[in-house]
Amino acid sequence: MIILKDILKIYKTGDVELRALSGINLKIEDGEFVAIMGPSGSGKSTMMNILGCLDTVTSGEYLLDDLNINHAREDELAEIRNQKIGFVFQSFNLLSRTTALENVELPMLYNGIGARERRIRATNALTAVGLSSRLHHKPNELSGGQQQRVAIARSLVNNPVILMADEPTGNLDSKSSIEVMNIFQQLNTLGITIVLVTHEPDIAQYSKRIIHFKDGSIDRDEIVKNRSIAEGEPLNLNINWRSEVAS
Amino acid sequence: MNFLENIRIALRGLRSNKLRSVLTMLGIIIGVGAVIIMVSIGQGAKASVAGQIQGLGSNLLIVTPGQSNTAGVKGGMGSLNNMTMDDVNAIKSSADAVASVAPTTSKQAQVVYGSENTSTQVVGTTPSYADVRNQQASIGRFFTDQENQDNAQVAVIGTTVVQDLTGNPNTNMVGQTININQVPFQVIGILQSKGSSGASNNDDQIVVPISSAETRLIGSDSIRTIYVEAKSSDLMDTASGEITQILRQQHGLSFNATNDFTVTSQTDILSTAEGVSQSLTLLLSGVAAISLLVGGIGIMNIMLVSVTERTREIGIRKAIGAKRKTIMLQFLIEAVIISMLGGVLGILFGSGGSSLLNKFAGITTQISTSPIIMAFAFSFAIGIIFGVFPARKAAKLHPIDALRYE
Repeated sequence: MIILKDILKIYKTGDVELRALSGINLKIEDGEFVAIMGPSGSGKSTMMNILGCLDTVTSGEYLLDDLNINHAREDELAEIRNQKIGFVFQSFNLLSRTTALENVELPMLYNGIGARERRIRATNALTAVGLSSRLHHKPNELSGGQQQRVAIARSLVNNPVILMADEPTGNLDSKSSIEVMNIFQQLNTLGITIVLVTHEPDIAQYSKRIIHFKDGSIDRDEIVKNRSIAEGEPLNLNINWRSEVAS
Repeated sequence: MNFLENIRIALRGLRSNKLRSVLTMLGIIIGVGAVIIMVSIGQGAKASVAGQIQGLGSNLLIVTPGQSNTAGVKGGMGSLNNMTMDDVNAIKSSADAVASVAPTTSKQAQVVYGSENTSTQVVGTTPSYADVRNQQASIGRFFTDQENQDNAQVAVIGTTVVQDLTGNPNTNMVGQTININQVPFQVIGILQSKGSSGASNNDDQIVVPISSAETRLIGSDSIRTIYVEAKSSDLMDTASGEITQILRQQHGLSFNATNDFTVTSQTDILSTAEGVSQSLTLLLSGVAAISLLVGGIGIMNIMLVSVTERTREIGIRKAIGAKRKTIMLQFLIEAVIISMLGGVLGILFGSGGSSLLNKFAGITTQISTSPIIMAFAFSFAIGIIFGVFPARKAAKLHPIDALRYE
């Protein structure tokens, strides 16, 4: 569960102060599927960075799973990102020259999980998103949709509480976009909280709740009516990708 | 994350940019290689000089005459003609620390054998020369005391002389007659080959009884050099003192007169040579330090470029949970691997180079373990020292900025 109280974020460049977020109060329950929308400069990316523990607030209180993030030091934030949060980015952000399998193993590398278990869990996660035949391909050998699915597999391997997706369909064609949204919807069904930042209304329509940002504060918070359901392959869950040791 | 994992990642980083990695290593490779080669040349020179000095004989003292002084005009060292057979006999009979004594006199002479001729050094001496100077006959024999007393016309010749006279250093000339300055001598032995030591060739000489040399070749009984063998290495100083005492007495020098002769010991020569090679080594170490420093700066340069280039990678790693320490370690290990790999290649290159020099350029080289270990440790240290700054820079990157970096 995420609780934000009076969040203020101010960027300083020289003498100029930029109020990126001013007084955000927000509560996201476990299992929600929230889309954050807004024009550029509305503060939605800043919101994303703070929710993802990539950045700290200027003032206010951020509770993630009853954990107060405000006073965490850089390395503690790294640990929280590693264990509680999965990231999916617009530009995929996979390590080039590194195979899909090794990319997915990466979060576990920083988590002290042994090589054998890493391999098993990464393989399972990739299988779940339908890439069992692409384990040893490098990002430049995969299509955009496939790369994004590798990124999703990577975001899942450490069993995160929340999955942060920053414009995940921004670089994808509509078919791949629907595939990705399909995976998100399925993961959400499995109980994973998803926070999605997007500026495309039809993508936001796949979520359950849309929060509109404007000038650094919440403009509108609405429940999605007529929610879109993404068509696509069901997740390959014959093997449990969330298991600690799948043996 | 464990250490091995880090090494694997670093190796992959280096592999993905092979040319650059090799070029970066080149500084260290050349630095370390040069050090290994230069040290091996230095040590080779030292060893061969030491070997030559030891080869003169063991526990050797060399007595030479002092400077001549004719009406204020001073000659060179050894230009006096003041040492005689009496001096030699006095040393032989009175010096307790002395094992044996070999007086020598020498002259450049023309040698004729059949239709061939050559010019060489003819050394007149006593049979003890063979032991004192460690110059045995490998074929035939050395002359005897009896032959020396009899002014016998016998000669023991060096292999270079054999080569000059017959065209083949392995010709057995024992029993043949050669003419030295038109005086016939019978060859009774061939000297064991000792090789050349720098400018002087130990094999280019003819050894004859001193009595024959004085009477038949030189026409004077003055002695150029007295070689003395001390009873043991501990008695070198004692022997030197005794000889000085005896010769001063023999030459009737008053209490405060300076010596009109010089006693040099093998250890004196050895320590002079060692002093030279020590300053050579110091000089080489300086050159080495500079070249390794340059190599290290090269590594730092490339690592800084690499950090900038891989800003995005660092951002990704940090976003998914890499801590500062982990990123720092990753880049540090990469720098250390570059420099150590460079060090290892440099060691191979240096050892290979020095053995090639030994084989094809005729330079004596000697590779020992200490410079190799030093070079290895040095390249490790360079990796750490010059890797820390770029690694810190990488570790300090903020994940958001790093992720946004294009």
